[in-house]
Amino acid sequence: MRDFVVRVAFIGFSAFVGAFFALPMLWLVFAPFDSTPTLAAQIPEFTLENFSDLLSNASALRSLGNSLILVAGVVGVVLLVGAPASYVLSRIKFPGRDVFLYMLLLMSSVITGAAAMVPLFLLTFELGLNDRFPGVILVLAGGMLPASIFILKDFTDTTPRSYEESARVFGATTLQTLRDVVVPVIRPGLAVISVWTAVNVWSNFLIPFILLRSPSKSPAAVLMYSFYTEGGQPNLRLIAAFSLLYTVPILLLYGYVNRKYGFRFHGGLKS
Amino acid sequence: MAGIEISEITKIFPGEVTALSELDLSIEDGEFFALLGPSGCGKTTLLRTIAGLEPATSGSLDIGDRDVTSLPPGDRNVAMVFQDYALYPHMTVRDNIAYPLKVQKVGREARYGEAEKAGSSLSLDGLMDRRPGQLSGGQQQRVAVARAVACRPDVFLFDEPLSNLDAQLRLEARGFLKQLQKDLGTTTVYVTHDQGEALALADRMAVMDHGVIRQVGTPTELFHRPANVFVAGFIGSTPMNLIPGVLGDGNVRFDGGVLPLNGRGDTGGEVFYGIRPEYITIGDVGDISGTVAITENLGAQFLVTVDVAGQLIRAVVAEGSEPATGDTATVNPDPDRVLVYDRESGELTPGAGYH
Repeated sequence: MRDFVVRVAFIGFSAFVGAFFALPMLWLVFAPFDSTPTLAAQIPEFTLENFSDLLSNASALRSLGNSLILVAGVVGVVLLVGAPASYVLSRIKFPGRDVFLYMLLLMSSVITGAAAMVPLFLLTFELGLNDRFPGVILVLAGGMLPASIFILKDFTDTTPRSYEESARVFGATTLQTLRDVVVPVIRPGLAVISVWTAVNVWSNFLIPFILLRSPSKSPAAVLMYSFYTEGGQPNLRLIAAFSLLYTVPILLLYGYVNRKYGFRFHGGLKS
Repeated sequence: MAGIEISEITKIFPGEVTALSELDLSIEDGEFFALLGPSGCGKTTLLRTIAGLEPATSGSLDIGDRDVTSLPPGDRNVAMVFQDYALYPHMTVRDNIAYPLKVQKVGREARYGEAEKAGSSLSLDGLMDRRPGQLSGGQQQRVAVARAVACRPDVFLFDEPLSNLDAQLRLEARGFLKQLQKDLGTTTVYVTHDQGEALALADRMAVMDHGVIRQVGTPTELFHRPANVFVAGFIGSTPMNLIPGVLGDGNVRFDGGVLPLNGRGDTGGEVFYGIRPEYITIGDVGDISGTVAITENLGAQFLVTVDVAGQLIRAVVAEGSEPATGDTATVNPDPDRVLVYDRESGELTPGAGYH
């Protein structure tokens, strides 16, 4: 009897927690199609007008484009810099290497974007990168790199050296070895890093908000902040529709990467 | 086709670790040559130096007519089979075998043709589209060998290629490798720590210890006349008996009695009396007697350890004729098979023993 009560209580609690987290999802599905959305999840009076309004808003689509540019740029920089860096850190032992890696990781998580915002702003200003995409891309990539290098080094560590040595004996150049052997073997790691970076950049608000002053350059996460009615109330119709649109690319990315590479986050176990 | 000429190769690793010390070795064209030694003796370093994966600190290395000492691995025209096979997990068997040819810029058609041929000569037909992860250990090993065969090198280098296989498969793969090498006639250097494997496979072999070669010769030479106590103890499935004693007049005296010797006149030296367990008979009659301490079943034979005045002497006897533990038995070495080693230097002394 006591077991039964405990069990009912546990299931009830779980259901409550589940509902608590499911409600916003429900809102995200219903509100965009509601002609008068509120902050509550409710059965909508079905309409597609919110979307047609959104599509007639030029800045909405442009902001999604801006977000894509930022994501592509940061993922590109992280892969191009992170992969070679992690390879070198994995293959060459130098005194203090591990300390260096841990310090890098520690610093990057302690000194977050907000804490470093003022110096970062001044730095981009001095470099003439203020209000320009390259500036934001470099700042965001800098934030993602330490952890990316750390994760990728782990993947590279599990790649046996004999793979590279045998390629060398066959006459492959270093570049060929990296392209034909090392990169394909650590590809699951590269996929993990790419998705993780993309999601982070896509949802980053603070850095593009501060570094990109022109409204025409705002990425989606920042633009959403500007959906107000003339009366100063949040424009829930636009916000709801835009929120749904905003989640779609990330869902597609997950699906694509998962199907193509699979998320094997348990290191480079040989497949 | 090419022989290998190694002269005064020295390899010192950072931290002043000497892996190879002024080593000279010449390997004939077409020979199956085994490098044998305990772990850490430098045999793998020597192999990697031949491959070019480790640059030699000093000395020179020729393959065929070419001095390859300072050439990168890819220009030496050697193929290496690694202990873990180093098959690329993301490539099919066909792509794995064809990879060296791809590096050499052989066209797609031609290299797949070569891969098929090499694959089928190692009975890999039907497995060509699989990935290494879907193959058994023995199949993976054959893929690694096929990859080495496909690039038609001057020299094959094998780094303990059988050590990851189970005993049954190892025997099969051993015969297979020997046959393949005979058919191809390619000079082969084979590193192993298993003396049985070296004896079975090699045309000639070298025993290494601490970065130097202790003896070079045919398996028969090394088995019958080990040049020093290190080789004597290393070669043979049951190590040679090395009984410390003093040379007498045509014999060797030790605490347990007088050991027979043929054809030696000198006296007085401190020596090891070396005799393989296979050349000792156990009986009831004889000068040297002791208590049977252990009997071990080897299948068709028994390894009998006899305690003679505190000295343990091992003998191999036919099954059915082994004494029981605790019995008193006599030990009768065959004087024609005895080798006498200097106790101080550990070197074989000339004169006595099997030739």
